[in-house]
Amino acid sequence: MKRQTIRLKDISKSSEQMVELNPADFMRLPYPYDTVDSEPAFKQLTEEQKKKYEVSVDGVVALSLPRPETKAEEDELVRKFLSGLGKLLTKENNWTFLQPLSLTLEYCAKCQTCNDACPIYTGSGKQEIYRPTYRSEILRMIYNKYLKRGGKALAKFTGNDIDLNWTTVARLAELAYRCTLCRRCAQTCPMGVDNGLVTHELRKLFSQEMGIAPIELHSSGSMKHLKDGSSTGLIPVALKDTVEFLEDDIKDRTGLDIKFPMDKEGADILLIHNAGEFLAWPENPMAFAIIFEAAGLNWTLSSQSIGYDAVNYGLWYDDVQLARVALKHAQIAKELGVKKIVIGECGHAHKAISVIADRVITGELNIPRESCMTLLEDIVLNGKLNLDPKRNDFPVTLHDPCNLVRLMGVVKPQRNILNKICPQFREMEPHGVKNYCCGGGSGFAIMPSMNFPDWRSSVSGRMKFKQILDAFQDVIDPNIRKMVCAPCSNCKGGIREILSYYDAWEKTGIAYTGLVEFIVNAMVDIGEPYIEWPDEM
Amino acid sequence: MLLQLLSYVAFMVFLVVVLAKVVKYARMPLHLRWELYPIPHEKGREYGGSYFEELDWWKKPVEKSLIGEIKFMIPEILFVRGVYHDNRKLWYASFPFHFGIYLVIGWLALLFVGALVNIAGLPSVNPITTFIQSLAVIFGAVGFVVGSIGCLGLLMLRTFDRNLRHFAAPKDYFNLLFILAIFLTGLLSWTSSDPSFEVSRDYMKSLIAFSPMTGASPSLTAHIALLSLFIMYLPFTQMTHFVAKYFTWHTVRWDDERNMRGSAIEARVGKVLNYKQNWSAPHIKSGDSWATIATEEVE
Ligand code: SF4
Ligand code: SF4
Repeated sequence: MKRQTIRLKDISKSSEQMVELNPADFMRLPYPYDTVDSEPAFKQLTEEQKKKYEVSVDGVVALSLPRPETKAEEDELVRKFLSGLGKLLTKENNWTFLQPLSLTLEYCAKCQTCNDACPIYTGSGKQEIYRPTYRSEILRMIYNKYLKRGGKALAKFTGNDIDLNWTTVARLAELAYRCTLCRRCAQTCPMGVDNGLVTHELRKLFSQEMGIAPIELHSSGSMKHLKDGSSTGLIPVALKDTVEFLEDDIKDRTGLDIKFPMDKEGADILLIHNAGEFLAWPENPMAFAIIFEAAGLNWTLSSQSIGYDAVNYGLWYDDVQLARVALKHAQIAKELGVKKIVIGECGHAHKAISVIADRVITGELNIPRESCMTLLEDIVLNGKLNLDPKRNDFPVTLHDPCNLVRLMGVVKPQRNILNKICPQFREMEPHGVKNYCCGGGSGFAIMPSMNFPDWRSSVSGRMKFKQILDAFQDVIDPNIRKMVCAPCSNCKGGIREILSYYDAWEKTGIAYTGLVEFIVNAMVDIGEPYIEWPDEM
Repeated sequence: MLLQLLSYVAFMVFLVVVLAKVVKYARMPLHLRWELYPIPHEKGREYGGSYFEELDWWKKPVEKSLIGEIKFMIPEILFVRGVYHDNRKLWYASFPFHFGIYLVIGWLALLFVGALVNIAGLPSVNPITTFIQSLAVIFGAVGFVVGSIGCLGLLMLRTFDRNLRHFAAPKDYFNLLFILAIFLTGLLSWTSSDPSFEVSRDYMKSLIAFSPMTGASPSLTAHIALLSLFIMYLPFTQMTHFVAKYFTWHTVRWDDERNMRGSAIEARVGKVLNYKQNWSAPHIKSGDSWATIATEEVE
């Protein structure tokens, strides 16, 4: 079936769905997924869901945006959208991104150089609506027509002849969640225009003005984090129990008696993990504790609300929430009197507190923040542990989390570590600052609503899966066990979902884990192998 | 003098509006960091690394490599390097288009210098004058030809390439046709009436000396009029990306300036945190300053 051509203006035209996604159109994957029938069935929405929610972009739901019931309600939402867009362009409301956003809105040359850099656009088989420039150009058209002087009179000539109605707004809201903010497109733009930023600002407009954001990011995300202590729901008392459990587990698995230092005043290091690790991948915080103790570091965890969860979902959709969480982290570090905050394996937490919130944290709260990668590199490369690389003698590849690498410049430490302790380490292509997102970026990894997970694994994560398969093509036999190192909680979540969606362990023998697990696995003093394969769990 | 008047007005409008744009962007408040790696001033980290790769990075001195930035900027500006790597098809048109424009700018500069030298009293047959004028002929002629080719190429791509056509507006064709007309009238006046560009130089002289001038052919007159109108129109369009690119790179993509205690950045942060916002979502109290909303307890 020939694909229908979608034009910019089509976004305003009411229709059941702008595009029908068909896995047969998606970018082809390498062996053993190189046939269309190796593609799992894409979950379709029920009729009831279609009636209840705005689904008219691609039949996928990220936001669960209810349909307005009356025309008056629709008009009010459109009015709010426009008022929010206006606010994005004032310094009082958006000093945080006014300059980058203004430049991006004014200077796109529509050259489309950025398109092929986008894993979602290419992975989807080049669906027009996923073009990095599609949502940006729509926003630009609305801004030019409705907010600029003379915009309406010149709209036809300037190409900004778009109708702003509820359909447009609702579709833009969903489209703001079809981009992972990986900013790979921005890297190639000859003007320095940033389509990832447009997504970010659109999400902010919806959240900060209209109160619209995915539940998982806002009410069960950053709000829960601020109120209960962690977006996972882990409250301080439960954390203490969890930590005790981890101590027992370390004892069982390694024979080591390790106590997690909690709230130790004046420690050199406050280590903050993504709290998801405690629940989903406890072997990760356990490995950190084993390494830090073996290296003789003076460190602590915090048991204070918020202080044990490094995530900062505001980074993806709301500047106010971003600032609130970052300041709490800094405040807790200050109260403990630590010398530095070290961020565990969580890419967005790294970027949020080190880069983005660097211009929110001032005075005594401005306590240095450091990546765990550099600290671990120092430990591994300077011989502070007794390591035997032969214990990691299986094929390993490394995923580069966008937030850590392209957006923060922490590129080498993690590969220096793997090069030292994994004899069969091989890079994905492309890697480093040219990497592809895991498909779970910008919150996608924690958004399980309706059929969004299917879209995430088969579209936004497709390029990553292709890279992983390519990296292991020479050892693709499922009897050869191999591991993807993903040193970031969200990326691990994204990759876990892709591998399970495609039954990759059964079909290719590919599993995943974090970085510290490889280090502990190589520690000579630990008797049993530390890394557990899926068939051993 | 009507033509001269148009040129003066165009030049003034250009200067004022471009300057206003520079001031507008330069005066925007400090924004959050939003850098994108690789950053070429990161010394020894061409692969895209940053100072965050150093243990205790805040204890280490800031090392910025200006050479790294220059090594990035020269090929980007002169040869449109980014497009060469990421969009070769477009580069075949974009490079001659931009290079043609640079050559025409060089041609105007050479005419200006030639006119000054002439006004200063150097005879027209003199090694210096001849050299400048010959160079002007090369810059002008090659610029018009190469620029026209690039311009035609861009027009073709906008019309026939699916990716570009879907996003094209009447304005985009108008701009390209406008520039093409300038290149073509320049070419026509060179081939038909002003092979050594002496009449063009005389026009420049008349502009410098505020004196009337006669003898411009219809094609040269058309060329001057179109060029002047374009110079006046340009600052109002996104073709001022030569201004924007300074900011998109230096103050966004490459801005990794650290906020250290007591630094100038910290003082600027203090200022912006006092701005009063008026967002309307339920979780934000409209009217409070950023400092307040960021530190209040949520309900
Ligand atoms: S964002 Fe940049 S690369 Fe993409 S179309 Fe616009 S100018 Fe071209
Ligand atoms: S930021 Fe990433 S996902 Fe979003 S449009 Fe750009 S390349 Fe695509």
